[in-house]
Amino acid sequence: MMAQSRASSIEEIAAFALSEGKNLGCSDVSVTAWKSNDSQVRFSNNTITLVNNVRNIALEVYISKDKKKIVGATYNPTEEGIKRFVQNLLSSCNALPPSEDYAPLPEGPFHYHGEANFDPRVTDAPLVDFVKQTIDSGLNAGAKRVSGSLNTRTIEQFILTTGGASGRDKQTKMLLNVRAFAEDNASGHGLSCTSYLSDFEPANAGYTAGDYAKRSLNPKMIPEGRYSVVFTPTVVANILPVASNASAFAIESGTSFLVDKLEQRIAVQTFKLEDHGVYPHGLGGAVFDAEGTPTGLTEIVGNGTFRSMLHNVTTAKKFGKKSTGNAGIIAPQPITIEFGSGDISLHDMIRETKDGVFITNNWYTRYQNYSNGEYSTVPRDAAFRIENGDLTEPLVGLRVSDSIPRQLNNIELISRERQWIEWWEVHIPTLAPAMMIRDVQLTRAVGS
Amino acid sequence: MDQAQRRGCEYAEARYQRTSGLSCLARNGVPEPAEMVEAEGIGVRLIYDGALAFGATNQTSNENVSDLVETIVRNAKVAASVIKDKIHFSIEDTHVEKWGTEEKKKVENVSVESVISLLKDVDKTIAKPISDVSFPNRMVFAGHDVEEKVYVNTDGSRLESRVPRVYFASILTALYEGKPTTASVPPGFSSLGGSGGWEIIEQLDLTNFVPKTATEITNGIKAKGKPPVSETLDVILGPNVAGLTSHESCGHPGEADRILGREGAQAGESFLKADSLGMEIGSSEAYVSDDPTIPHSMGFYLYDDEGVRARKRQLITAGKFTEFLQNRASAYYFGIKSNGSSRAVQFDREPIIRMGNTYIEPGDWTFEEMLKEVKRGVYIKSFMEWNIDDKRLNQRYVGLEAYMIENGTLKDTIKDPVFEITTPKYWGSIDARARDLEYTCGTCGKGDPMQGAPVFFGAPHIRLRNVRVGSR
Repeated sequence: MMAQSRASSIEEIAAFALSEGKNLGCSDVSVTAWKSNDSQVRFSNNTITLVNNVRNIALEVYISKDKKKIVGATYNPTEEGIKRFVQNLLSSCNALPPSEDYAPLPEGPFHYHGEANFDPRVTDAPLVDFVKQTIDSGLNAGAKRVSGSLNTRTIEQFILTTGGASGRDKQTKMLLNVRAFAEDNASGHGLSCTSYLSDFEPANAGYTAGDYAKRSLNPKMIPEGRYSVVFTPTVVANILPVASNASAFAIESGTSFLVDKLEQRIAVQTFKLEDHGVYPHGLGGAVFDAEGTPTGLTEIVGNGTFRSMLHNVTTAKKFGKKSTGNAGIIAPQPITIEFGSGDISLHDMIRETKDGVFITNNWYTRYQNYSNGEYSTVPRDAAFRIENGDLTEPLVGLRVSDSIPRQLNNIELISRERQWIEWWEVHIPTLAPAMMIRDVQLTRAVGS
Repeated sequence: MDQAQRRGCEYAEARYQRTSGLSCLARNGVPEPAEMVEAEGIGVRLIYDGALAFGATNQTSNENVSDLVETIVRNAKVAASVIKDKIHFSIEDTHVEKWGTEEKKKVENVSVESVISLLKDVDKTIAKPISDVSFPNRMVFAGHDVEEKVYVNTDGSRLESRVPRVYFASILTALYEGKPTTASVPPGFSSLGGSGGWEIIEQLDLTNFVPKTATEITNGIKAKGKPPVSETLDVILGPNVAGLTSHESCGHPGEADRILGREGAQAGESFLKADSLGMEIGSSEAYVSDDPTIPHSMGFYLYDDEGVRARKRQLITAGKFTEFLQNRASAYYFGIKSNGSSRAVQFDREPIIRMGNTYIEPGDWTFEEMLKEVKRGVYIKSFMEWNIDDKRLNQRYVGLEAYMIENGTLKDTIKDPVFEITTPKYWGSIDARARDLEYTCGTCGKGDPMQGAPVFFGAPHIRLRNVRVGSR
């Protein structure tokens, strides 16, 4: 019997939901209960505009009966609420046809190694002080206005499944996204994304944004055409979504450029991409997936060749593989993405590029055709012309209009330094290098 | 609210919100696991000495809510000690009312079985090749949700609401001569539906609408003609494309929080300034409005999440910006009343300025009359890819179904015409609006944490003179 109040532990909540599902005759039940504490300070025009705190306890439940499957989440984790929710799930589940793709939950018990990246000091970190440091650094670097948000997250999760999976996980994150303006048309961007207080660098992120902003005054337009472009880790993490395209669900649905590409060369030989459950001393992660499978390391691309899709038990069964520990009940998904590093510094990359463009940030990436990866994205914040290996005039009004496969095969240089990225445009923690890609199509709007 | 006031807050509001929904997906006619979500809890926002703080929890015992309020007040006090600009809210009328959307077939009574049955029926209509184009990968989605709120504030407002919504969407892979192309019905990754009961979905007559639209799309899939690049010509945009432009290059830049810089690091700012009202942005034919009160629209509401009554806003009138979207904080800055634009999509999100249903006002032309006057041009009926910079000046829409126009007649289809244009050039080039206003549904992304808000995009056919298109 679970406590009647809403203060029940996530273990009690998961156990109660699991027993409800079993008592109702479900053959498969997976319950992940979580307790989260999110804090945020938003700021703009050098001042704080909102302080925010959200605390939730909720659960996700997957059930299957007679090979019929349904999944749901509820924020009502009382005994009565869970009973009603699981009953509703089952009654909807009974109305579904049996799934042709049914695969049972993986059989445990499993041993989960440790926990995701966690630092107990993050929960009570002095966010307002950090925001003041960020703003001051941006202004000291030459900006007139600094805006952004600092978010911290502490989440504990507990999973129980009818397959015998039982485990606890917890993680923390500190995500600072800062944008500085020297003038309306001269802005820079900085990030500090980490799970550990000791690695958090608000002053550095603020300074980076402010410095880029100051150097972006009086930007110019350049003609449309193909250029060698140096992209920062922030942009690389967004415009090369190879890991999400490697989801077996996306491939099976035709919404990936990787259809029929397994074991084929899809990129230059120096390109390497992996997915981790937990990257040691990295950003976030998870020790188990939504089906209870222990997460691990999956080589998605090695030596430029597409090595593995990401699987849950359903897609694994279809493709004759084992789960890679990337469930999503419906669709497998990456957990922590690592791009392989190169052997050149960013400074030398720009020097070797000689003639090209440097793009520091982007947003609004949209696809014309998922099948061939044709997309465009809009650079935002600082961008510079590269001439004779030096950054010269700041640029404005650009758009990147290219395709993922073409870019993967045009990567010329990969940086040694990598940076953790997670922000508005990059939702999955990603360790990314800078890259120089040749023959990138840049366009601009008419009427400028 | 009482506790916040006892702690010295000048303003407080509380919103209990419950959002429950069902979404279903069929791939190639085979149902995937359905998804049910119930999100409920309380969100509290307050102002202490000019500092704004928000907090939320689904742990709604008296003890937990009291503890949450103490935390929010404490956070606000810390912020108040360092903020440079104090936040004030405009003074607004108070309201005590229950409101909602009429629904004939309550969505709670719509079984997962009937939703799946509809999706399978729709899938069958496009499972066989249409006009030499096959659709080997078909994902069709449908679902519903109900948003229920009880809102109170220290001004004395108390509002209770219930808004059910229903939707249909699809993502298709079309195959023609061995080449796969992504498409959707409706095009542009948008959706169909609205606020109300399941009768809205039934009225869409999807088993006829989807194959009809898919048939039209095949014209774009099979197109081999190249867009006429580097040429000044006229462009007619279909409602599918023009509707999105009203949202992207008028509604967003007209959001007062962006204009004042509050979204600087996320959704961005605006090319408009606080003193831009009255600024000429377009031709005398440019008229754009936002109206959340349209019955059964996707962005329907009668009161916003600050207790302000919603009304129609005329954003661009005869080429001039005439109104911004305001919440109570921005309205105070401008010295005006809020026009009720503040919305939160879930209990644990702060209310921020959002569009409701943004659209280009219809004119008095017919499509045929517009077409007849074009000597050389391009008709972009629908699109897939689009984006715009974060100040909303530099936008792009890539056509899905598009045609050359010569001497007033539609000619060959063209492949992927790229319409990439600045906002002043866009609104300044419109010379005709048709009567045939159409809406599609979308999810507008803004805020941090991200809040996807349900909206309508609307427009009739419009004609632009002396512009250019490009190619991929």
